[in-house]
This record gives sequence, C-alpha cells and structure tokens, in this order.
Amino acid sequence: MSEVYSPTSEQDVQTFVHSCFLEGSPIEVMGFGSKAIGREIQCSKTLKLQKLDGIIEYFPDELYIKVKPGTSLELIENTLEQKNQELSFEPSDLGYLYKGKSLKGSAGAAVACNLSGSRRFKAGALRDHLLGFRAVNGKGEVIKSGGSVVKNVTGYDVSKLISGSYGTLGVITEIIFKVQPRYDESQTLIIYDLNLKKALNVFSQSMQTSYEISGACYYPEGMASFFTLNDIDTNSSITALRVEGPKISVSERIKSLKKLFSDHQNIFVLENYQSRIFWKSTSDISFFNNSENTVVKISLPPVFTEEFLQQFTNEDIKFVVDWAGNLIWIEIAKEDSVLLRQLRKKVINFNGHLTIMKAPTHVRIREDFLTVVDENMKKLSLRIKDSFDPKGILNPGKMYSGL
Amino acid sequence: MTTLLMPEVDQRVLFDKEKIVSDLKKFTNSNNIISDSEGVTPYETDALSAYKQKPMIVVLPENTEEVSDILKYCNENNIKVVPRGAGTGLSGGALPLKDCVLLSLTKFKKILEVDYENRCVVTQPGVTNLSITKAVEDRGFYYAPDPSSQIACSIGGNIAENSGGVHCLKYGMTTNNVLGVEIVLMDGTILRFGGKKIESEGYDLLGLITGSEGLLGVLTEVTVKILKKPQSVKALLLGFDSIEEAGKTVSDIISGGVIPAAMEIMDKPLIKATNDYSKAGYPLDVEAILIVELDGTESEVGVLITKVEQIAQKNKVKYLRASKDDEERLRFWLGRKAAFPAIGDMSPDYLCMDGVIPRKKLPEVLKEINKLSKKYNLRVANCFHAGDGNLHPLIMFDSNIPAELKKAEDFGADILKLCVQSGGVLSGEHGIGIEKRELMCEMFNNEDIQQQLSIKKAFDEKSLLNPGKVYPILHRCAEGGKMHVKTGEEKFKDIPRF
Ligand SMILES: Cc1cc2nc3c(=O)[nH]c(=O)nc-3n(C[C@H](O)[C@H](O)[C@H](O)COP(=O)(O)OP(=O)(O)OC[C@H]3O[C@@H](n4cnc5c(N)ncnc54)[C@H](O)[C@@H]3O)c2cc1C
Repeated sequence: MSEVYSPTSEQDVQTFVHSCFLEGSPIEVMGFGSKAIGREIQCSKTLKLQKLDGIIEYFPDELYIKVKPGTSLELIENTLEQKNQELSFEPSDLGYLYKGKSLKGSAGAAVACNLSGSRRFKAGALRDHLLGFRAVNGKGEVIKSGGSVVKNVTGYDVSKLISGSYGTLGVITEIIFKVQPRYDESQTLIIYDLNLKKALNVFSQSMQTSYEISGACYYPEGMASFFTLNDIDTNSSITALRVEGPKISVSERIKSLKKLFSDHQNIFVLENYQSRIFWKSTSDISFFNNSENTVVKISLPPVFTEEFLQQFTNEDIKFVVDWAGNLIWIEIAKEDSVLLRQLRKKVINFNGHLTIMKAPTHVRIREDFLTVVDENMKKLSLRIKDSFDPKGILNPGKMYSGL
Repeated sequence: MTTLLMPEVDQRVLFDKEKIVSDLKKFTNSNNIISDSEGVTPYETDALSAYKQKPMIVVLPENTEEVSDILKYCNENNIKVVPRGAGTGLSGGALPLKDCVLLSLTKFKKILEVDYENRCVVTQPGVTNLSITKAVEDRGFYYAPDPSSQIACSIGGNIAENSGGVHCLKYGMTTNNVLGVEIVLMDGTILRFGGKKIESEGYDLLGLITGSEGLLGVLTEVTVKILKKPQSVKALLLGFDSIEEAGKTVSDIISGGVIPAAMEIMDKPLIKATNDYSKAGYPLDVEAILIVELDGTESEVGVLITKVEQIAQKNKVKYLRASKDDEERLRFWLGRKAAFPAIGDMSPDYLCMDGVIPRKKLPEVLKEINKLSKKYNLRVANCFHAGDGNLHPLIMFDSNIPAELKKAEDFGADILKLCVQSGGVLSGEHGIGIEKRELMCEMFNNEDIQQQLSIKKAFDEKSLLNPGKVYPILHRCAEGGKMHVKTGEEKFKDIPRF
C-alpha cells in the first residue's frame, strides 16, 4: 500500500517533494482521489491535496479568484454564483461519469486535466482561464508563473504548460482563475429527428452567422433518454444550439435561428431554466452516467466528424457529439480492446486524438491513455518533463510511458 | 544609443563568416543571403530603435525545409540565430547580435487556406495581421486580435509576442485565437502543435510557444481561428472630473456583468495633447476620458449602452455621448489613436511603457506616477487599456539635455516596479525582449527564472536561438526597462498607436 501524505501548506508540499527528490521516490499526486484518470501508475508515496484547500482571495471586479489546489470546484462555483459570475469554461462534473452522482473534483485536478465543458469552442478551454499558478516542481522548488491580470507577456506562459499536464510537471499549490459574468439568459433551439449529417450542417451553418452560438451538440436517437427535462421529447434525436446573453438579444437571435432553420419541421425552444439544465447535463457527460464500460473522448476537425463515425455504424458504440462537431464522446463495451484500437487508428488518420476518460483498470493498464504518435513530440515532451522533474518522481508514466 | 550587455560575441564565428555564407548557399538560393554591411543595415533594429546592431548575415529562406536546414547547420556550428518578422516589435525581440544569422520570415507571405467550414485560416507566418482579416471579410469574418500595428506586423511576430489589441478584453489575446503552428526547433526538427481541431493532447506546447518571443523555435506555418463580425458596434465617450470616477466606472461596468469590446482611459495631459493633434472634439474641462465600445446584436448593444450610461451617471459622469453612427464612433477613437504622434509633437523624445496593473489600482498608480513625474521633473501622459489593466505611460524628455535619457529610463523602471508592487506585471503586450529583461527579477525569483531557462534548454540545448532576450543576462537584477523613441527616427510613424 502506498503511503498517503496530506499536506496543509505549500511549505509541507515542498518539504515532502524535496525529500522524495533526494530519495528518488516516485509520488502519485492526487486531488480528492475520486477519479482514476490517466494511466494506472504505482508509486511508493501518494500526495493528496484535499487538505490544502480554501479560497485565498476573490475580487469580482478584477475578474479573478485565487484558490488552493484542494478547493472543491463546488465551493468555487457557489462562491462565484453569489456575485453572478462563473468559470466560463463550464467545468465538467465527472462525478456523474464515475459515480453516478454529482462529485465535483478539486481545482488542482481540474487544472491538471484541463477539462472543459460545452462552451469550450466559444469561451476557450480551462487553460485559457488559468491566469497564473504556483507549484512545487520535481526538485522540491516552488515555482510560479503568470499573475492575476489578464494581459501578461512576461516570460513563458507556463500556465498553459501546467494545464493538462496531469501532475507530471509540478504539484500545483495555488491557482488563479479568470472569472466572467454569468449570462442573464440562456436559451436553446432544439431540432428533432435530424441525422448526424444534417445536424453537422446545422452546426456549420449556425457557426457562420453572427449569433454567437455558445453550445452545439447532437444526441442521436435514444441517447437523450436519460434527460428528465419536462420540455423535451427524449426519444428523438436532438440537435441543440445554445444562445446566451442579455434576454432581449437572446430572444432575437433565437428568432433569427428559427428562421434560418425554418425548413426543419420539428423545432422547439428551451427557455432559460431548462436550457441551463440541458447544458449542465451535457457538460457533465451525464449520458454516460456511472458507465461500467469504456468511455473515450475524441477531438478532431469538425469536417471529419461524420466520415469518422460512419466507419463505425455497424459497431456497438454509443456516441454524443459536442463542441459544434469538434468533440465526440463514445462508449464501447468494456472489454472491447479491438474496437478501441480501431477507433484510435482511424482518429489518427483524421488528424484527431482519442483520450480514455473512464475504463476498467485492466484496460487502463493495457491501452494507451492518450494518442501521441509523433516520436519527436514525445522526445521534446520528455525533455520538458526533465526540466521540471529531472528524476521523474511526479506521477511518472501518468500520461504515457516515461511521461 | 544606450549600450547594452549582450551575449559574448563568438570571434570564431565572425572569422568564419565567408565560409558560413558559402555554406548557407547550399540551403537556399544565394539571392536570399545578404552579408554586406549596407545590405544588412535595414535589419539592424526593430521598432525599439534606440538599440541598433547589424547582424553578421541576413537569410531570407523560402520554405520550411530551408529553415530546417539552416537552423540545423547553425546549431551544429554554434552560430546564433535571431528570427525576425516585420520588425515592429517594441521591446527589441528581433534586435540582431553581431555574430548572428538573422532569419527573416518575410518570404513566408502566402495565405495557404481559408477554411470556412472549420472557421480557420492556415497561413505562412510572414503574412500581416490585417491581411488575414482582409482575406475573409467579404464573407463577414475577421481575425480578432488587432494590434494597432496590424497593417505592418506579421502573424508570426504576433504569436511570438502574444500580441493584444483594444479588443482583447472580450476576444482574448493572440494565445486565445491560435489553433496550430508548424515550428522548427534549433536542431532542425520540424514539429506541429495543434491544428484545425480546437483541442490537443499532451503538454500544451502551442500555449507555451505563444508569447515566447522567438526563443523556442521558428514558426513556419500558423492556423488561426476566425470569427463572424458582430452585427452592431457602438461607442460611448465619457468625461469625468477625476480619474477615480473613471476607474470606478470601469470596475462597476465589469462587476455589473458587462464585458465591453473595448474600454480605454486617457488622462488630462493626453486628452489635451490628442485633441490638439487630431481635433477629435474631446471635452477639455475633464480630468479623464473613458471610451467604451460595445458590440453584439442591435438590441443587445442598445441594452448595454443604457446600462453603461446608468453606471456612468452613478459615478458622476460630466460629459456623456453615445455614437450615432460609425463615423462618430470612429471620431471618438481618432484622438486615442493619435496618442503617440501627439506626444511626439509635444516633446522631442518620449518613452512608451507597457505595464499591467489590477484595474482598481489605477487611481493609486496614476497618483504615484504623477509624484514620480515631479521627482524626475519630466512630463508624463497616460493611456490605459482600462478593461484589462494595461497601462501605457508616455514619458516625455529631451535627449539633447545630458543625462535626461537616463533620467527618463529610471523613471520608466520605477513605473514598472510600481506596477509589479501593485500586483501587476511588467508587460501586457509588447514583451520583455531586451527592454525589460533586467526587471524580470522584480517579478520572479531565481528558482522561477531557472525553471524557465531550463524549459528553453529543452527546446534549444545550446541556447543559440535568440539568446540575450527576455531573461536577465547575468541572472541577477539590475536597472532597466525602457523603450526609447526618438522623434524623427520613429519607425512606422504612420501607424495609429494604442
Ligand atoms: C506603431 C506600433 C504600434 C503597435 N501597437 C501594438 C499593439 O497595439 N498591441 C501589441 O500587442 N503590440 C503592438 N506593437 C508591437 C508589435 O507590432 C507586435 O509585438 C508585433 O506582434 C510584432 O510583430 P513583428 O512581425 O513585427 O515581429 P518582430 O518585431 O519582427 O519580432 C518580434 C519577436 O518575434 C520573434 N519572431 C518574429 N517572427 C517569428 C517567427 N516566425 N518565428 C519565431 N519567432 C518570431 C522575433 O524574434 C522577436 O522576438 C506596436 C508596434 C508599433 C511599431
């Protein structure tokens, strides 16, 4: 059993990592430890950041919040909501996928995984909202980058590098998120009964307008049945377009969209509350609630989405498309490594990548978590890893072998 | 010209110059190589024209393979390389070294693909920022980041500097608008970061190289996202009796849930200077002017204008006018855009600073700057990208008076230190370059700097690519931090400046 250490200060983290550095002992870094994302790794020590928590400062009119890594996203989001603000990358609540219930993770883990919800294609990913951070690198040194201001060209933007590095570069000890005002109004245009091709056309057409679409997803027939929304028919396929902003403008844009798509028969508008619930469930991947199977996330240029999925029409897969066609969530039978590898092979042909988001342990041991194919990219990434963590003690192998 | 400590000149390289020139001819057409003193002169400085240095050789490669061959050769032979776009940089990032090969990307000037389906443009890095918008505007699209140098600066330079513009408050800086690049490392390795898909896996190397000031690799292809133009744009011109009230209005607008497309403040000296220069028709009996631009659908803009007007009234606005049409909106901007030349008209020389502060600290910081102005006995005028806290104080001086340049530089350094002490940073959009590298220790300690230097090594083991920039040359702190614009010598004079 790995020895678990729960620091309560940055100083604790530093002392701990420094001694592990001297001994050369690998450390598994975790937030709440509730979700097994990344490759399965074995370390003699575990560093759990749950107790290094709390909001350090929050200045609504400066549009930032500074928190410790163990702070739950739940607390952060509730705090922001009181001032009518939010994290506009819509952090996903992976609790639904993992445990079948809400279980928002820690801020540190969110940064480490760079997970962003349905608004991603408009508002940017988490990495676009990380203004600065402090961390302890693999040598036990405290490093920092960025700051609390949005405009900053002062040295390398290491905040980008740390986002999505799965704890392999540093133990994050402080996080500064950019925050944004919450939109007054959210409405969603739903078009029923489209096939995937037509849905993607709808996305493409609407993205060419100036209506500032902030959500565009597609549920094939049967996939929306988990919704318990009063207002939608969950048996049909659903093509959804979200518009947000001041109420008057939202209503106007929705009206224009309705007109643009008036040749479609089955159109419906979800009003504010129902619209918000719809997108929260979508961002939270609730359609694969408590999945016992293998769930993967595929990102590829939207023009290839249909062609890619076509290759798998005869396979036993379930999918939902989000980010206006840029993202496909797929669930396959848990043992089906052959299919998993086929998906990955095809996605590479389309210049995309596949990330395993949830899988049984043996699949996680056997299969690659990410899709990094270019050997030169791997070499460069290893050199970067080395520059932060020369002895390779932080989450070694979490992303792929050696990283 | 101020003397500047740069990396030690490699005499052996200078000695081998002829051989290097003939070797380079193996990699690119000999017309693309300039090695005579007169021919390299146009490359001796960027827009930080107080510093000049002729490079040993200038090379203008035509494609990625040539760039790769040249870099590989230089790496193997320990020759320093300085990449250069259009040379509009304000922090000396493209300043040559005496023993360097200056790699100019000006021949990379083709837009390769406009892809409306994926809402992006694939282009070579030497293309100007504005030509990207020009290429897509007939379909109502545009490229969002709009540095005021956009008619001249290259998209490659924009990525290297993570350039901003007045609209980055709402639409983000360059980093939020780049999807992918092709990059050549110093050892000649060609890599692709990102692409047409919006998200990538593994370390975010695209995010890392954006704003890395040409230190990590040479960009040879770029994919940027394009947006649909908003339906309607309107501006408000607001005058206040105090900077505090203007600043408070900005804070209230933001905490009131409005993110305008742009928000700009000018102080009294600048209002007068710009008004005299451009005849913009600004109110002259106010201490501060705030321009707020709002965009969106017609009705949305209407709602927002009313909301901002109410907030301004609560903060005792003295002068308030909403643009009736585009012509009037552009007139509001006329003076603001003339800020630099207007100051140039008032004073033989000026320094332009580029610090960032938390928005709410504006009145405090301006008060302190005015105190410093008295201490140094030099005039200063201030413009401020108020929405994102980016302050551009313009320090006026006369370099014909002995020691006045030094005095102005010290004043500038004090301002930047003040920015950092107020919780801000050294540069919002012009980069560190050589200009502010000695001030980096105001923000970072040795461990931070060492970490960044070791990232550099991961990309460029021998530190041959653009050395001497961004990081303090002796890894210790010294005074510095200035951009010296000598009137008359000013480059890109005709470009409106923000
Ligand atoms: C009048 C005027 C107004 C300005 N207004 C603004 C403004 O509003 N906002 C703003 O942000 N900036 C502004 N600037 C600064 C400047 O225009 C930007 O920094 C611009 O991005 C520089 O682009 P460039 O092509 O001229 O780059 P250069 O000056 O040639 O180079 C800048 C840096 O980028 C590197 N570089 C260039 N091309 C490449 C490449 N292909 N690969 C790798 N590295 C490369 C160079 O080594 C150097 O370090 C202004 C400048 C002027 C003169």
